[in-house]
Amino acid sequence: MKMMWMQLFAKKGETMGIKKFINNVVDFLDLDKFSVEGKKKSIKKLLVKLEKREERLKKIISKEHDKKAKKRLKEELAIAQHQIKKAKKHLVKLSK
Amino acid sequence: MLQKVLLPAILIALGYGFWASENFKDISAGVAIFLFGMLVLERGFRAFTGGVLEKILKISTDRLHKSITFGFVSTALMQSSSLVSVITISFLGAGLIELVQGIGIIYGANIGTTTGAWLMAGFGLKVKISSYAMPMLVFGVILIFQKSKNLKGIGYVLTGLGFLFLGIHYMKEGFEAFKNTIDLSSFSVPGFKGLLIYTCVGIAATVIMQSSHATIILVITALSVGQITYENAIALTIGANIGTTITAIIGSLSSNVDGKRLAGAHLIFNVTTAVVAIIFISQIMVIVQDISSILGIEKSNYTLRLAVFDSFFKIMGVVMIAPFTSKLVWFLENYIKPRVVKKDKFNVNIETTKYLNDSVLELPETAFAAIIKESKHLYDNAYDIMVHGLNIKKTNIISTMEIDEVLKDTYSQKMIDIDKAYLQNVKAIYGDIIDFSTRAQFEMPEQYIKLLYIVKMANRNMVEAIKDTKHLQKNLRKYATSSNDAIREEYYNIRKNLALLLRDINIIATSKEEDVILLMLSRVKIRAKEYDVVANGILDNLIRENLITNEMAASLMNDSVYVGHISKNLISMAEGIFVLGHDKMQNLGEELLADENDVDAIIRKKRRDDGH
Repeated sequence: MKMMWMQLFAKKGETMGIKKFINNVVDFLDLDKFSVEGKKKSIKKLLVKLEKREERLKKIISKEHDKKAKKRLKEELAIAQHQIKKAKKHLVKLSK
Repeated sequence: MLQKVLLPAILIALGYGFWASENFKDISAGVAIFLFGMLVLERGFRAFTGGVLEKILKISTDRLHKSITFGFVSTALMQSSSLVSVITISFLGAGLIELVQGIGIIYGANIGTTTGAWLMAGFGLKVKISSYAMPMLVFGVILIFQKSKNLKGIGYVLTGLGFLFLGIHYMKEGFEAFKNTIDLSSFSVPGFKGLLIYTCVGIAATVIMQSSHATIILVITALSVGQITYENAIALTIGANIGTTITAIIGSLSSNVDGKRLAGAHLIFNVTTAVVAIIFISQIMVIVQDISSILGIEKSNYTLRLAVFDSFFKIMGVVMIAPFTSKLVWFLENYIKPRVVKKDKFNVNIETTKYLNDSVLELPETAFAAIIKESKHLYDNAYDIMVHGLNIKKTNIISTMEIDEVLKDTYSQKMIDIDKAYLQNVKAIYGDIIDFSTRAQFEMPEQYIKLLYIVKMANRNMVEAIKDTKHLQKNLRKYATSSNDAIREEYYNIRKNLALLLRDINIIATSKEEDVILLMLSRVKIRAKEYDVVANGILDNLIRENLITNEMAASLMNDSVYVGHISKNLISMAEGIFVLGHDKMQNLGEELLADENDVDAIIRKKRRDDGH
């Protein structure tokens, strides 16, 4: 408990301004991480949707015989796969 | 006109009152301090309306009962139905909530105001309230001088409460001293006549003080010292409930159609409740007496019994009117209609804005949301012009019809006057968006200003896309019927590409799924990059093989530039408006949008897959 208050308040010899106090509270409670965590959650949700789409597209492509339709589906698959890669990369960046 | 007569009359009456009675001065000062306290309290709560309240409002008003709960809780906490009304009108104006939700909040706020009567009757009269006021004022003022927005807000709330308590104290003192000189209860009027007279007095008092809360507190204070009878106090409470709607109507005169509809709902709701209460007053009095007995309130405790009446009367109104809310909405939407069309100097109808009005300027979030909504309105109009400019029917392009079929089913034999359509359906709205954004950004935090810049650019992109469509239209028509197969085919491809682009843009505009928006945005970027007759060698080929004349080649080259501009502008517009205006996309951030490198990488992969 004492440690907690020590963390909240300024170091020995420092005067505590209100702004600094609020910053310390924000740091202590990790409030900054909230937005990052929210973003990570949104990306994870997106990844689930994209991966489902990827699987679905792969299945449809394997059954599709029309050349034109197959080309269009392959384009969609390429985009989905690229977005998955991009989202995963961004997720790793946010986790660091 | 009313103000010119009413204000001097009130000032003269007050002046006479101050001269005639020292105690009247105390009571009036009490009311004035109380009202000032409400203003300060409102200002304090405004400091916290930068997100939390709005977020709660957005997620907690999707059902009528939730809207009522939100209205009740927020009013009970802030002790200000006017602040709740202002925020509600602001959200309505920005299109963030529907009228039915707004009405629900007003129902709840109405019940929420009764908590003031309970606090006053149960607590305010029993303790020496001024002893709480002084420390609150001192702490409040110290906090007001702090730099932090939140501390300032707390300071204003404390100071507001301090003034409210001080006001009540002066009202109480004034009435108690008044009792020794004049007995106001001797003016009481019994029976139905008294009910009507005091209802009118209640209306007048509320209109003058612009606050039903202040009227009810004044009534409870006067009732506590026996200066008015319980029956007359009830009539005054009913009057206060009607008076508050007049304040709302006066306030809505300068607001947009949503504000007027909400004020209309407020009026219908409160007047109906008051009329029913007046008709069935004796039955209601019996019920109030029974409830009071159940709650253990003594027969002689008129102030608490008045609080019971106030609550019962307002809850009764909600129970009575709430089942007819959808009919009320229908009535208001049919009888209070927006003015979206004005005429120019040649008497041509000019479409105007739907969402931009001063009520949304109250909060940065609503102002921004209104600008996004208006930009979407502009997009709808711009979309129509572009689709018709390509000689396509809108119903076809937004359907799942095969694109070749869409192109066959043309919109019109004649050329579309894009300049006229732009003047009628785009120019005024575009101008208003730019003007409104400039005004809104004065009150906005930095992060909104940055976003606003993107939205303004997106609007400009839309206008540029219309202008490029205009330039393109002439040759699209000309070469659509050309006897030269090669040029006819190329212009058909231009139409087809733009039609596909417009179809995808429509999906981006209407989709709720973030993965769909992301994929579509990537797809339109890829197609825009792939379709360039100069870069992909089509034009060179046509010239080399003498398939088209020099004039045709020049036209095709120029028009391919227009196509490139239209694609680029529409994609930037979609990223600016539909990504920013989409909650899930906003959470993801712009880092996930495909950039130039991503587009190149996907094209390379596509080519590899195709065996190129």
